[in-house]
Amino acid sequence: MEKALKAGVQAEIYFLVQTSDRIQFENGRLKDMESKMQSGFSLRVIKNGCLGFAYTKNLLDRDEFLDQALDSLKGKVEAPFSFPSGGALPSLNTHDLFLESLPNTALVEEGNRICDILRTKVKGEINISIQRSIDTLRLLNNQGSDHSLHSSSYYLNTSLLFPGSQAGLDGHILGKGFQSFPQEKMEFLQSLFNQSLKEVRPQPGKMKTLFFPETLYALMWRIQAGANGKNVYEKTSPLLNKTGTQLFDPKITLYDDPLNDQQPQARSFDDEGVPCRKYTLIEQGVVQNFYYDLFYAGKMKNPPSGHGFKSAMWGGETIALKPRPALEYLYLKPGETSFWNLVKSINRGILVAGVLGAHSGNILNGDFSMGLAPAVYVEDGEIVGRVKDAMAAGNIYETLKEVVALEDQSHPTYGGTFPAVLLDQVNVAF
Amino acid sequence: MDSQKLNNILSKVRADYADLRYEVKKEVQLVYSGRELTQISSTTTDGYVLRVLKKGGFSNVVFTKEQDGENAIRKAEENALLMARYLDSPVSLAPAEVIQDTYQPTIEEDPRSISMEEKLALTRSYNLRPLQKEKIVTTQIQYLELVREKLFINTDGTHIREDLVTTRLGGTITGQDGGLTQTVRVGTGGSSGFAPLRNQEPLFDEKTALALDLLKSKPVTGGSYSVILNPDLSGVFTHEAFGHYSEADLVEDSPSMLEKLQIGTLIGHPNLSITDDPTRPSQLGFYKYDDEGVPVRKVHLITQGVLTGRLHSRRTASRFKEPLTGHCVAEDYRYAPIIRMGTIYIEPGTATFDDLLALMGDGLYLVDALGGQTSGENFTFGAVYGVVVKNGRMGEMVRDINLSGNLYHTLQHIEGIGNDLVLSRLGGCGKGQTNIRSCHGGPHCLVRGLIVGGR
Repeated sequence: MEKALKAGVQAEIYFLVQTSDRIQFENGRLKDMESKMQSGFSLRVIKNGCLGFAYTKNLLDRDEFLDQALDSLKGKVEAPFSFPSGGALPSLNTHDLFLESLPNTALVEEGNRICDILRTKVKGEINISIQRSIDTLRLLNNQGSDHSLHSSSYYLNTSLLFPGSQAGLDGHILGKGFQSFPQEKMEFLQSLFNQSLKEVRPQPGKMKTLFFPETLYALMWRIQAGANGKNVYEKTSPLLNKTGTQLFDPKITLYDDPLNDQQPQARSFDDEGVPCRKYTLIEQGVVQNFYYDLFYAGKMKNPPSGHGFKSAMWGGETIALKPRPALEYLYLKPGETSFWNLVKSINRGILVAGVLGAHSGNILNGDFSMGLAPAVYVEDGEIVGRVKDAMAAGNIYETLKEVVALEDQSHPTYGGTFPAVLLDQVNVAF
Repeated sequence: MDSQKLNNILSKVRADYADLRYEVKKEVQLVYSGRELTQISSTTTDGYVLRVLKKGGFSNVVFTKEQDGENAIRKAEENALLMARYLDSPVSLAPAEVIQDTYQPTIEEDPRSISMEEKLALTRSYNLRPLQKEKIVTTQIQYLELVREKLFINTDGTHIREDLVTTRLGGTITGQDGGLTQTVRVGTGGSSGFAPLRNQEPLFDEKTALALDLLKSKPVTGGSYSVILNPDLSGVFTHEAFGHYSEADLVEDSPSMLEKLQIGTLIGHPNLSITDDPTRPSQLGFYKYDDEGVPVRKVHLITQGVLTGRLHSRRTASRFKEPLTGHCVAEDYRYAPIIRMGTIYIEPGTATFDDLLALMGDGLYLVDALGGQTSGENFTFGAVYGVVVKNGRMGEMVRDINLSGNLYHTLQHIEGIGNDLVLSRLGGCGKGQTNIRSCHGGPHCLVRGLIVGGR
């Protein structure tokens, strides 16, 4: 930082240390174990309204690192912003010491315990993935911001695969500390699995469709694209000039809440040092806000909303990524109906337990057309079996206009914390 | 690269086998969003991957700093022993030839010797072509140059230096008319340097015209169709629907899938042959050694409908008692290698495009892939656009096409195989790691009974 200041530039340093252990079980047996110890730096500089960027894994030569960032100023990438000044941020409880100290043996034993229980109850293949991650992040800039974060996260996913395929049912837990995979989740999985074993081939057409929380990301991606400050700035968003307009069913309230430290990796600042806050995107179906990083907030002459994250749709090396507007802490407000009552309310329809190819199609337009892996078929409120090779298609700006009901509780998933959502009149092809 | 440093680290491992890969990754990226340049970077990163086989347990540790070497060794040995305790049968590795080699690929114009100004100018000029059209509202065009300088050593005595140079220039073009937005992909690239990126103006113009045409087209009607897949879609089908299940690590612990995928089983139409061949020169998927130090070779996966081969790592080749193929590849220094397709394609047949149209009668001609995914026998992938075919004649253009089908059914219903073969110039397979050199292709193919999602 001192060297950067001497060079007469605004500067921001992002330093990340990540350690993780990943353990995988396939077909009920331990398959793989991998550990990672990684670190790296990124550096952004601003001079005369232009932005420079560099990153490195091993900071061997500080002068060379700074020179790389200064050199990239020549590209004249516009920086319509300054780095934010520092200030007091809410203190969050993001780290669980017990998880960090837990030996890998304990994680392997947890996987074995789940396999042992499920093996006696179902005839499917059991796959389990367990990941424990510990991150340390420091972000400082020349405006006096100096933020640190030490966070832990624990993820366990149990899949039961239907014979002859890799489509199955998933149940997962996501938290900042270790938690035993709950008995009720295992019972839910085994009960649904055993009821769906039979292959059926009903008539295709428009029908009720219950999206599981784990699959809702596919629909949410479309809304996220619409509310993304980049697409608003480029005037490609269908939500342009629609704030204050009722576009969705009043049951839909969607917000981002990075401050909720009950969930793992809660944040009081984004990857650009902007304070995070609870932020409503859709309130009772009415479009409220778009979200921005520093760049697009600057272009729109709006205050930044605290959504500049170094993330990408398909992962990637964090330090190498440029911040972009991202909703990393999405919540859909739950409704009032229990999961099984939602199922009972379906006269003819499907349960979407997994989706394929959610990234295909015209996302920005709100279109979706996804493979269902699997689709569980329901008639008169009872599960009849599963349908192979099914597809569901539609457009969220039509299908989310009317939501039949939302589940009465939310579940943390990789794409956000969501309840199951029951829609009507979704086009399903078999 | 200092192989002495690597030897020092590896010599401290107490195990039955160990290997260590050190990589320097050099990346140049330029990104235009619409008319604005939003990223320019030129960076170098590096790291290590250590794999240890000890008492039948096989484990790996990824680390960034040389001084973490000893810590990594301790952790890898601990993990391996822990695995050994829980495994039903110990891991063994198929014996591989000991190799000492330095290999540099043949490059037409090394991108490292082209100035940033020139890269910027070329990217800008392509990006501006679509933006001149009124209804093109934005673009996202990226120049990417990625060089992996790899050094691999193992305790058998293998020592390999190989560079992989990947270039790509492309992205998306978005058109808008009223409330309708349509995005098409555009781009080119490969493993042979900067030269293939030049003179691509016709490609950018063609895709711009396509984005505009799509704004005038209608959504497809959902249902079951006969389709002709263009070479890009044939390739994506081959990769997604079948190719992943020729990767031994994806099927080894799935007894019910493996049962259907026994070598010697008639699995496809008698006209159908599928091959993976990364040794084909100057194409995206080219490499000489995989990230286990095994030389890659051509593998006949399906020969005239019969399953004849599988892609392997040293571990799976030993488990399956099948020959090594050299298909164990990592994204970069952040990952241990996993089994990947290299260059997978359907072998061309004899039918002309007109023959295929006539043979199909009614159906859809589908062009260019928009991503895909598989879950065993069920697969899904998108097409950029389609053309309705009636009585063997091409009619109107349709959009919003996503396809789904069943692997076994589809392999048996590839009824017509064209006499052309086109391999992809861009790749991006995400099997836990991203493989930007994943190359696929094929001829035009006629397939019966695919489900189109529609709207």
